[in-house]
Amino acid sequence: MKTDTLKFQTRNRPFQQYAGWIIGIGLFLLPLIQMDLTTYLTLTVAGISLGMLIFLIASGLTLIFGLMDVLNLAHAAFFAFGAYAGFTVLNLLNNAGWIDTASLAQSLFYLALALGAAGLAGGGLGILTEKIVIKRVYGNHLMQLLVTVGVSFVIVELLKMIWGVNDEVVPVPMGFQDAFIIFGVFIEYFRVVAIFLGITIFAILQYILKQTKLGIIVRAGVENQEIVKATGYNISWIFTLVFAAGSALAAIGGTMMAIFNQAVDPGMGNQFLIFALIVVIIGGLGSVTGSFVGAVIVGLSFNYVAFLWPKMALGVNFMIMAIILLIRPKGLFGKD
Amino acid sequence: MDIKELTSLETSGKKTIQELTIAGIIFVFFIIPWIIPSFRVMDVLAKIMIFTIAVASFDLLLGYTGILSFAHGMFFGIGAYSIALILYHSDTPSGYHIFLAAGASIAISVVISLMISFFSLRVKAIFFAMLTLALAEFAHILGVQWSDLTGGADGISFTLPGIFNFGQTLGTLFNTQINGRLMVYYFILVIAVFLFTGMLRFIHSPLGRVLKAIRENEQRTIALGYKTFRYQTCSIVFSACIASLSGILFAMWLCYVNPDSVFHTAIMVNILLMVLIGGMGTLYGSLIGAGFFIVTENWLPGLLKSIAGLASDSVILANMADRWQLYFGILFVLVVIFFPKGVIGTFRVILDRRHQLHSS
Amino acid sequence: MTRVPVIETPAIETRQLSIQFGGHIAVNCLDLKVAPHCLKSIIGPNGAGKTTLFNLISGQYTPTSGNILFNGRDITRMGVADRTRLGIGRSFQLTNIFPSLTVLENVRLALQAKENVGMVFWRHYKAYPKLSEHAYELLKQVMLADKHRFMASLLTHGEQRKLEIAILLALDPDVLLLDEPTAGMSLEDVPAILDIIQGIKETKTRTILLVEHKFDMIMALSDSIAVLQEGRVICDDTPDAVSNNEKVLEAYLGGGVTHA
Repeated sequence: MKTDTLKFQTRNRPFQQYAGWIIGIGLFLLPLIQMDLTTYLTLTVAGISLGMLIFLIASGLTLIFGLMDVLNLAHAAFFAFGAYAGFTVLNLLNNAGWIDTASLAQSLFYLALALGAAGLAGGGLGILTEKIVIKRVYGNHLMQLLVTVGVSFVIVELLKMIWGVNDEVVPVPMGFQDAFIIFGVFIEYFRVVAIFLGITIFAILQYILKQTKLGIIVRAGVENQEIVKATGYNISWIFTLVFAAGSALAAIGGTMMAIFNQAVDPGMGNQFLIFALIVVIIGGLGSVTGSFVGAVIVGLSFNYVAFLWPKMALGVNFMIMAIILLIRPKGLFGKD
Repeated sequence: MDIKELTSLETSGKKTIQELTIAGIIFVFFIIPWIIPSFRVMDVLAKIMIFTIAVASFDLLLGYTGILSFAHGMFFGIGAYSIALILYHSDTPSGYHIFLAAGASIAISVVISLMISFFSLRVKAIFFAMLTLALAEFAHILGVQWSDLTGGADGISFTLPGIFNFGQTLGTLFNTQINGRLMVYYFILVIAVFLFTGMLRFIHSPLGRVLKAIRENEQRTIALGYKTFRYQTCSIVFSACIASLSGILFAMWLCYVNPDSVFHTAIMVNILLMVLIGGMGTLYGSLIGAGFFIVTENWLPGLLKSIAGLASDSVILANMADRWQLYFGILFVLVVIFFPKGVIGTFRVILDRRHQLHSS
Repeated sequence: MTRVPVIETPAIETRQLSIQFGGHIAVNCLDLKVAPHCLKSIIGPNGAGKTTLFNLISGQYTPTSGNILFNGRDITRMGVADRTRLGIGRSFQLTNIFPSLTVLENVRLALQAKENVGMVFWRHYKAYPKLSEHAYELLKQVMLADKHRFMASLLTHGEQRKLEIAILLALDPDVLLLDEPTAGMSLEDVPAILDIIQGIKETKTRTILLVEHKFDMIMALSDSIAVLQEGRVICDDTPDAVSNNEKVLEAYLGGGVTHA
């Protein structure tokens, strides 16, 4: 009798997944009723690139939580910090007069410079934060939440102190202000860059988590630091570096978003944190794949709805989150 | 018999000192507007009372139930907006509109907090924190974007009805003008005392004891036959209602609301800091936390600026003085790491230790 | 071999009860009947499924298949809290109390659950002095009355186990599940617990299921003993019969040992 139920379950499971995909894809074709194909495709490309930008923010959050079991609410502040770091680099380049005349190749180079600077700055801040604050609160979720809220507050105030409280216009390299047209669909170069970067980082994270021992070491370290230390790994530095990597991802996402919106302001972290939170909740805490899928869902649905009913855009994302939570309380790819 | 001794022991001298202290504090709040007729002082006192209630209600959740909900500030905002909207849209504001606002905000709070607790059953605590944070952000964005209803980022100003009308002067007594603002001040005092007493009763009720038990050892509490989810729901709903009522008081004091002043996550962070300073799970701590925070918030910027003024050519120093909230952030982190029990909590630990020494 | 006669409806009955964790079957098609107002001990080697069986009966685990009956009523799908309210009280192998509440409050909370006043939030908890009085009486029964104002965490291990029994008694259950009540106790504390259990047994109003390792204690207390091995009952009989049963000796001592 027991084997019977088991068989039934295994037979049933792939079908349910299959049904989920069909329903999901069907939902994303739904906007076609209200718009023509060209608009739909334009919105889709824009939505996917927005999704990739959101993924960049969410991936760091997911990485830190998935590996270290730390929910870093200061993530939004790292994101804003990265945005300002990238902005500073672009500003310097602009003052040298190189931004307005940049070809596509030059633009990519400048972007790499800005992202590199943001990544280093974010990572550095991450190392400081982990060494000073986070390492004291491992294993206590409540303390982590509280302490990272405090850190977030401090970083945002520092941003205001250094760069002032007002919005700043971000100089966008000339090459990115161009676009090309395929099948009547208008595609900006920067969107392609965003999509490319998002997929690359997704691939790198997947490789590191699935193909290397890092994931196992860190998770074992969360369970028992002493044992991992005994095997010769310097677990406390590994923790620091994972945290720094997550922060660097947030910072890179910040610079990308700063260019995308052509503006930075000290409060920008909170505006995008809500997207990152929705994505992580939809995808399931700690699952990089989940964040990737969640980010695409949020990016697409946000763009479709923002086109059709501008004021509903965020509300729809919230509804999607609520529905997914009702069906799967742990998120789409969440484990226990 | 022993049981008499048992109850009398539990309610010995400690209690009367406590009662006297409370009476003393209420008296101070009552008398100060007459002794120091300064608007600034009255403003600080009123805000301390309002935030004591908001912070205490959050402590019911965090300290007594062990739930970290970032949506708590949202209920504060719901209360503030409900009275602002009702008074703004009514042509002839009158006293019952305040009760109407109270009723409306409680109704909305009950519905939303029930939904929140329904989700809290389904997800892990850390997930719940994220969910409520997202919800709080959503409320803020809604407040800004749904400008047809909320007036957008500009907010709503309104006038209070009857004796509460700020423009009105009822007379002078002992050199103090009795005006609408003073009436609102005393209204806040009365309501705050009432709500605080209500919360004290709540935590000392059978239900409050169960909540304490859940926080201590949830599995054992279930095995005693308590359906813990019901109790946690009660706590979530009760504290949400109190928070929304404190929001009403806040709006009444300012006669103005905007999304940044009531829905912003910074409010939530401030409330968190106040709870932490006073100590989680110590209702009285909320008064200390709110008092410390509001007083510092009022006088720290000026103090810093005057310090910075000593070296007036230093831009960095001036900048550092401007960002006084930075020091709150640093304080926040330090309190969480080194002082997690807060003022009252640490005090109690010391008292307990002494008590154990005496009894053994 | 004299079987313990089961005339009335069993207080607790399991039918083909099984639970599986991943690939491991912890309890395997287990049939057990516990006669009302008797004391049945459950013994078996480590990992035989004793505590798992307790968790199934008290509701911490939901079985993969099979049924659990309480006084003839199917409670397989019932939650922990509901089972407690129905009359199944449980003590735990690892001490499970409220460490930073007072000793009296620990017991009072259990009484409060029984009296159904837990949802009251408008009255002071001291408005129910009967609960405190009753709690105090129960503490007297387990000889803890003089420590009622102590924080529970300050009690010695043996006292904490006594407190657990007081909590259990406060729930006034029909069935008591005692999971190694003397575990980790110093030898001089054991007789006190034994007396308490003996006292409960002699009232003939409660059914007791006991998991223990101290063999002499089991022999002295039990009306019947069930022996578990690998999630199954291999023997369920009177103490004398069990102590002479070959299968039991084999399970405990390994093969090749003949009883002396």
